[in-house]
Amino acid sequence: MAKQYDVLFRLLLIGDSGVGKTCLLCRFTDNEFHSSHISTIGVDFKMKTIEVDGIKVRIQIWDTAGQERYQTITKQYYRRAQGIFLVYDISSERSYQHIMKWVSDVDEYAPEGVQKILIGNKADEEQKRQVGREQGQQLAKEYGMDFYETSACTNLNIKESFTRLTELVLQAHRRELDGLRTCAGNELALAELEEDEGKAEGPANSSKTCWC
Amino acid sequence: MIDPYGFERPEDFDYAAYEEFFSTYLVILTKRAIKWSKLLKGSGGVRKSVTVKRYVRKGIPLEHRARVWMAVSGAQAQMDQNPGYYHRLLEGESSSSLEEAIRTDLNRTFPDNVMFRKTADPCLQKTLYNVLLAYGLHNRDVGYCQGMNFIAGYLILITKNEEESFWLLDALVGRILPDYYSPAMLGLKTDQEVLAQLVRMKLPAVAALMDGHGVLWTLLVSRWFICLFVDILPVETVLRIWDCLFNEGSKILFRVALTLIKQHQDFILEASSVPDICDKFKQITKGDFVTDCHTFMQARHVYHCAWLGIGCYETGTLTKIFSEPGRLSMATIARLRESCRAALQAQS
Repeated sequence: MAKQYDVLFRLLLIGDSGVGKTCLLCRFTDNEFHSSHISTIGVDFKMKTIEVDGIKVRIQIWDTAGQERYQTITKQYYRRAQGIFLVYDISSERSYQHIMKWVSDVDEYAPEGVQKILIGNKADEEQKRQVGREQGQQLAKEYGMDFYETSACTNLNIKESFTRLTELVLQAHRRELDGLRTCAGNELALAELEEDEGKAEGPANSSKTCWC
Repeated sequence: MIDPYGFERPEDFDYAAYEEFFSTYLVILTKRAIKWSKLLKGSGGVRKSVTVKRYVRKGIPLEHRARVWMAVSGAQAQMDQNPGYYHRLLEGESSSSLEEAIRTDLNRTFPDNVMFRKTADPCLQKTLYNVLLAYGLHNRDVGYCQGMNFIAGYLILITKNEEESFWLLDALVGRILPDYYSPAMLGLKTDQEVLAQLVRMKLPAVAALMDGHGVLWTLLVSRWFICLFVDILPVETVLRIWDCLFNEGSKILFRVALTLIKQHQDFILEASSVPDICDKFKQITKGDFVTDCHTFMQARHVYHCAWLGIGCYETGTLTKIFSEPGRLSMATIARLRESCRAALQAQS
């Protein structure tokens, strides 16, 4: 039986409470939008398979509680991520200011070489806007990140931003992927490689860690 | 369709199964209500006693629930000793960061409950805001922690009284639960670790599965502890658990967690990946087993002997919560809490 995906990645959504992380995720995985979600407690995740450059990528997307004190729980997930969405709300200056803090947390807890992307969500709320698009662009440039303004509500740039981060992660792992493709040409091997990587990383976890 | 607490029933709600359970449960409720009325009329008040404990484990009728929770948790005594305190908190100096943190969650607390909608009249969002704000001002070390919104929400639905909800929240956060909600959340992390240890002792196959896949317990159970099973188990079942929580303390949370895991052990062991395990842990909180709150919680006066290891022999119907996970004494919990907390503190 053909494997349903070639490679498996873990992406993480972080940002202040109420910026719309869960809504972004639900729009992307289920194409649904609910104006009132319940607050996320702790950590949750959803999965979706997308195709990028002919590669079927299974992505696990980890959604986190935004309140600062929950970081004591959520930071455990940073080091397992290959890509991270840093999300703010364009109608909240405070959530934008806090991106700096979120970036420094990523530097501290996430693995080196983790791919990051900046998201200004709730772009449909133009009349409540407190953060200009160029401010977002400027900040992203400072940190060397790509930037998207998104709206889970109107489905603006959702697929684009998730696909982009996936591409960045793929590019970062290009060497391993190409190596496998040329020598084996075997789809299964790509996923297995990724699983093996998962096993090898994070010495604090048992060596048997498997995230498939 | 809306349930008696104002929650919209999900589209896939199994009315036939619920009806079957509820027609039996209604008979039990009626019987319990008569017994409770007698008990409450006789003494004039509720005091902790063996009889009350037995009664509580069999469920407090809705009409007496607020009064009994207030009495057995000590919330009533606190309220009586501090007249006007709650209102003074709300009239005194506030905190803008606290206000904003609470406001962020108002629309995100029970959007599926008609009484919490912005358009409801009266709208319980304002009541919720007041209770959480007053509590954050009262207990500044804790302030507001996400999850407290769901707990306060349930308290408001049951008591229909702002001040009583405040004092019950104080009983839970300030006395009954360890420090789950403080900024370091050490009590929460400790209790998750305690549960992991209990599973290791009582259900080693499940523990081996978790270890094999490197699953963090926080991923599976942090909401169980933080929300005290709100929005995880059916409303009626949560209320029955809370009956015991107010009267007997936080040990009930481990009993419920272990019962859920033990009952579904074989099902959980079928999992072959991390997402699979997560999915199974979500599924075990749904279905007939947890909907039939009475069988789930059913308890008779002998079960605690089994828990304490005194060795009572029991026949007859299953008493799930209090017999399923085997022996579990408060001393065991206390010992585990102490060692897990020390280990966590050493790590950080």
